[in-house]
Amino acid sequence: MAGERIAITVTVNGEDYREEVPATRSLLDFLRDDLALTGTKEGCGEGECGACSVILDGRLVDACLVFAAEADGRRVETVEGLADGGDLHPLQRTFAAAGAAQCGYCTPGMLMACKALLDKNPSPTRDEAAHGIAGNLCRCTGYGTIIQAVMEAAKES
Amino acid sequence: MKVVGRELPRVEIFEKVTGQSVFGADVSPGGKVLYGKMVLSPHAHARITAVRTERAERLPGVRAVVTAADVPAVRYGKFVRDEEYFASTKVRYVGDRIAAVAAVDEETAEEAARLVEVDYEVLPAVTSGLEAMEPDAPLIHDGYADYWTQPSVEDRRGNVCNHKQLLRGDVEAGFAEADRIFEHRFHAPMVHQTYIEPHTALARFDASGRATVWVPTQAQFPLRDAIAEILDMPMTKVRVIPTEIGGGFGGKISPTVEPAAVALARKARAPVRIVMGRGEDFQTTNPRHPFHLRYKTGVKLDGAITAREIEVVLGTGYSSGSGVMISQGAAVRAPGPYRIPNLKIDSYCVYTNTPTCGAYRGPAGPQLAFASESQIDIIARELGIDPAEMRLRNAMEDGDETPAGAPLEDVHVKETVRKAAEALDAAPRAAGANIGRGMAAAHWLVGGMASSAGVKLNEDGTFAILTGLVDLSGASTSLAQIAAEVLGVSLDDVHVRTADTDFAPHSTISAGSQALKSMGGAVLLAARDVKRQIQQVAADKLEADAGDLEVGENKVFVKGSPERSVSLREVGRAALEHQRGPIVSTQSVSRLVPHPAVAAHAAEVEVDPETGHVRVLRYVAVQDVGTAVNPLSVRGQIEGGVMQGLGQALSEACTFTDGKMDNRNLLDYKIFSALDAPPVEVHLIQHPCATGPLGAKGVGEPPIIPPPAVIANAVFDAVGVRIHDLPVTPEKIVRALKTKRAEQQP
Repeated sequence: MAGERIAITVTVNGEDYREEVPATRSLLDFLRDDLALTGTKEGCGEGECGACSVILDGRLVDACLVFAAEADGRRVETVEGLADGGDLHPLQRTFAAAGAAQCGYCTPGMLMACKALLDKNPSPTRDEAAHGIAGNLCRCTGYGTIIQAVMEAAKES
Repeated sequence: MKVVGRELPRVEIFEKVTGQSVFGADVSPGGKVLYGKMVLSPHAHARITAVRTERAERLPGVRAVVTAADVPAVRYGKFVRDEEYFASTKVRYVGDRIAAVAAVDEETAEEAARLVEVDYEVLPAVTSGLEAMEPDAPLIHDGYADYWTQPSVEDRRGNVCNHKQLLRGDVEAGFAEADRIFEHRFHAPMVHQTYIEPHTALARFDASGRATVWVPTQAQFPLRDAIAEILDMPMTKVRVIPTEIGGGFGGKISPTVEPAAVALARKARAPVRIVMGRGEDFQTTNPRHPFHLRYKTGVKLDGAITAREIEVVLGTGYSSGSGVMISQGAAVRAPGPYRIPNLKIDSYCVYTNTPTCGAYRGPAGPQLAFASESQIDIIARELGIDPAEMRLRNAMEDGDETPAGAPLEDVHVKETVRKAAEALDAAPRAAGANIGRGMAAAHWLVGGMASSAGVKLNEDGTFAILTGLVDLSGASTSLAQIAAEVLGVSLDDVHVRTADTDFAPHSTISAGSQALKSMGGAVLLAARDVKRQIQQVAADKLEADAGDLEVGENKVFVKGSPERSVSLREVGRAALEHQRGPIVSTQSVSRLVPHPAVAAHAAEVEVDPETGHVRVLRYVAVQDVGTAVNPLSVRGQIEGGVMQGLGQALSEACTFTDGKMDNRNLLDYKIFSALDAPPVEVHLIQHPCATGPLGAKGVGEPPIIPPPAVIANAVFDAVGVRIHDLPVTPEKIVRALKTKRAEQQP
């Protein structure tokens, strides 16, 4: 089932990757299977759970709904790029302290949704924070600790 | 206590927030991994007349196809051996396994699955437990009478695969004594765990005949046993390696795709990974049992309950699964957390042509509490008694017994109920019309299961815990806190990671709120034994009596003269040269005395009478938790449990047409998002429990139990309509309001 392959160059977490991918390959499979960046998760493959959220040129997207080819020449940010070397991103620290990650499966996508929110709106209200993560389902926490982590990260930065 | 009782971040948290945790689909075993795909029945009930795999096998890229012919003719099941892994003669639900294929890529595997041809003779199906009990209902297991069962399985007839009856006192005399008798029927539908990580398994089969399976499971030891039983392999030829688990909630206990992955890997001689799509996960896994309930309750005018007669019909699905155990447990908990002298409880576990249900968090709890606590609310209102007062009047206390006759201690129903009422009343009702308040109380019984755990002193003075307990909800952190507390070190000095079935001591499953009780019990014993060994080695070093030594702050010192001390690091090294050798201890527990864990919740809602929309304005959750080993984890469990419970209250239900689930995606099966979630006000009732490690009680199940009843009661208070059928949807409220208005017309 080879099909047409397309050469793409994608900047992921600041690094350039040149790869040939099938035209129908999703950005999610590209990240997980071709680049072995398995931090980004698949929960439904239909854009309904948000587990695969990544930031594409500054905008939050579901990586399962974007073709890898659409990311050609663009910048992708994933959970693996959140920490700056050994320094955790403020959201990573506040998620840990608030208990905002339990099983941790929605966490990578949730963190990217929170980062996209704070990049645009550095001091959100609780209501704005809830809207910022409305597309990301979490079955463990009940969301309260996640919103708390966003508010505390906003205070830090 | 220095470490226990502190809000410490989970030990694995930094892996989780950096994306480094390895979940089921993240494992890479090296070498080319094949894609596996299940071939499933499209019919709810049909005879299989032919299965042809030739076309699938001939497709380029296909490496293996397996069917019933490739696995031993084993019928399995813990309570009733009524399940075949691959259907051989009959399919019993949409999703029954026919075959599995493995191919070089996903598209080829999907194409091959389509090319497996099956001829069916379609049979009439029955998907409701009540209908399946009718005399003329289609018989789902023709040969049921010949199936092996456990001795506890009673009174099987037709589609009824277990009938548990419990009697206390004299229920007829109790009704005769009553001033008023109330009888109501309720229904709670099937709901799904909806963990965010779908089921997945990766299997490898060695030349030596050993299978290795990487899988996100809550129950690695029983899963190993099940794979071995299904494939008729020696148990220790199967190694289950539990990965990080992306939510389970009871849905990742029974085997699903693992045996197929092993059978494919064996035939293809290559590792095989199967990942369920979300639709397949909804249709073929182990959701919560749908319940039909009838509650008949006799009361005195002062609210004292004289008798309760309860009938529970649980639709178990196409096989008994955990339905027998859950129907037995349902009988024990059905009366609620009350002292009721006269009881008659009948609990039926009934086959249906639907997925086999499993042990969704707090099995039977939300369904029973919805019925029981709705009725308590109805009775209190009819008698003009405050609903909290009605509960307090009948609350069980220390020394009371379960309906099965087991005595209960550490019972804190009254304090928990009082606190919930008080916390909600602490703020005045919101202004405006159609505002209502409701409450509900429930208990869970936390047993303990066979568990062993080890603690060892490393030569650098730190410790490691040897455990096979899957860390589902913070248990590893709590185990480390217990060990750190005993051994006088900080949490950072205790390393804990779950080992697999080959290398871990046998550990309990992560389910039923008993993981910390069972494993914490074993860790506590092991840590205390290690401490004794440390004192012995240190005694020789310090030329002191072991009984005079204390352990704390990473050293051992003489009581009263702290300057005479030796560090744990020195003790760790000295032990290697000492007569007794390296310091390690492994301890075991089993069959622990159950304790009750109580949750009382109260809420204020606003109902829009035009649209039927329910807005939860306030939600109070009070829980009797014993010693909260890690209050951050405990609160997290409660908040998350409440949110799942609110989903069951307001929006969640698996609906079926001809046995096929209609809403098998996350758009139509509506779990709560951040926009639906109200803030939850949590209060912990902490009295150390005599039968829990350092006083801890189980915490995971209780918070999911009360919400459906709380919401139904609050909706009644707001707009005067009673919903008897979950979930409490806007449509049902609008319809009920319309009926009520019509009835009020002169």
